[in-house]
Amino acid sequence: MKFKLNIWRQKDAKSKGYFQRYDIDNISPDCSFLEMLDILNESLVDKFEHPVCFDNDCREGICGMCGLYINGQAHGPDSGVTTCQLHMRRFTDGQTITIEPWRAKPFPIIKDLVVDRSAFDKIIQEGGYISVTTGGVVDGNSIPISKEKADKAMDAASCIGCGACVAACKNASAMLFVSAKVSQFSLLPQGKIEAKTRVQKMVSKMNELGFGGCTNTYACQAECPKSISRENIARLNREFIIAKTTSEELF
Amino acid sequence: MKLIQISSITKKIALAAFGLFLLLFLPVHLGINLCILRDDGGLWYRAASHFMGTNYIVKVFEIVLMACVAFHIIIAIIITIENFFARPVRYKVRIKSKTSLGSRYMIWTGGIIACFLVLHFINFYFVKHGLIEGKYTASIEKVDAFFQENAIKMQNGELSDEKKNALIAQYQNISEVSSDKMDKERKNLINLTKQEVKKYCGEDFTEYEPDFYTMSIELFKNKTYSIIYLLVFIALGLHLSHAIKSLAQTLGLSHKTYNPFIVFVANFYAIVIPIGFAIIPLAIMF
Ligand code: SF4
Ligand code: FES
Repeated sequence: MKFKLNIWRQKDAKSKGYFQRYDIDNISPDCSFLEMLDILNESLVDKFEHPVCFDNDCREGICGMCGLYINGQAHGPDSGVTTCQLHMRRFTDGQTITIEPWRAKPFPIIKDLVVDRSAFDKIIQEGGYISVTTGGVVDGNSIPISKEKADKAMDAASCIGCGACVAACKNASAMLFVSAKVSQFSLLPQGKIEAKTRVQKMVSKMNELGFGGCTNTYACQAECPKSISRENIARLNREFIIAKTTSEELF
Repeated sequence: MKLIQISSITKKIALAAFGLFLLLFLPVHLGINLCILRDDGGLWYRAASHFMGTNYIVKVFEIVLMACVAFHIIIAIIITIENFFARPVRYKVRIKSKTSLGSRYMIWTGGIIACFLVLHFINFYFVKHGLIEGKYTASIEKVDAFFQENAIKMQNGELSDEKKNALIAQYQNISEVSSDKMDKERKNLINLTKQEVKKYCGEDFTEYEPDFYTMSIELFKNKTYSIIYLLVFIALGLHLSHAIKSLAQTLGLSHKTYNPFIVFVANFYAIVIPIGFAIIPLAIMF
């Protein structure tokens, strides 16, 4: 297959970026999107040009490292998959493909298509954990948890922190990510203990870092590779209201 | 960019809360508007306008309502600006993912409604507060009472010559009021300009009110106004289609037991309310 690629190039965080056009040929339809970029990069290296930088790691949709804004959609045209799981058969022969990095103020570009997503780590550091002191092993059934709650918590926990929700949102809001991280704990007894401080701290960090606010448009849910539900955002709002009005620990 | 240092969620909640109050007011306004379609020469409509213009509870609510409109608009603008700056460099290519029309264009439909509100205020609200001149109505009973009062004063010799002449002139004028200045039941003078109020009711008569019935009918007979009005209510429908679901989400209300109810209310507001308003210009135009 043949493609015309329009790729965002930017030397470093401070330089001005631009779109560079590349033509690529002989791509197998079963090639993954990132493999296609690998092929492009090999050809660039052969010509002593700088390869196009992009993030990736597992290449099996579980780590959340990859993330490209392809033809106007986060992670490309397929739903429920990350960029590394996207295949070239999803495109038509000869199609022009525009590839951009995630664009959001809290995600500054490092180089080309690589963005700095440590803002997410900072949010997690504010409370995306439970404080446990290790001791003796507890009996597995000592804390009863309903199947429904466990399922919901597991669904929320499937967020891989890729940042597509921020990239897809017209406001560059991180509410879906934060809501998933808040929900995965608050739904479970162990997470409930710190729930009120957690939600307030994580939301205030999110605001501080410059993410936009949610306007309930739900582009995040549509583009999330793990199909995290907007129900989590409602839960986050609810927890936030309850925490603000009933907690005495903070503020 | 943060314009005010309040949590993004708190801003949303405030926006939703002010919006909620506006939502509650809409059916009331619609109810009053629909009175205009009753074939009674404006009797009910004028009675409703009279109630809304004079009742003290309504007056208090009017202030609350205006504050809600103002805050709703201010917060919406702040949120929009802040959100815009959360993405300083925009995308070159962007596809509208599976999102609803209403949710994407909230600020635009809101803007259209706000512009219409300005027009609406010029046409009605400012007239009510005497800032702009409109058409007026007065109850004949009250005009008579006022006349009697003055007549007694005249007998007692309390009126100056000038006032006496004016009173006599008024007596003649009112007996010559043309039929289009009188409502069907012959209870009220209607469709009066300020000058006519003075002519028929006397210089010092103050108990006249804006004749919203005549003013509305005149406006709706104007095709341009009616078309603008209809377009605005399409925008309102879009705005409301997102408003109620969004409100529930923002307040954290999401549960499979009552979600269908939220959807029902959302659809009711998005469809029934705008159609209710839109029927009026359609009925009057054709
Ligand atoms: S919520 Fe979805 S889109 Fe957002 S970071 Fe998690 S996995 Fe990625
Ligand atoms: S590289 Fe790990 S999810 Fe794509």
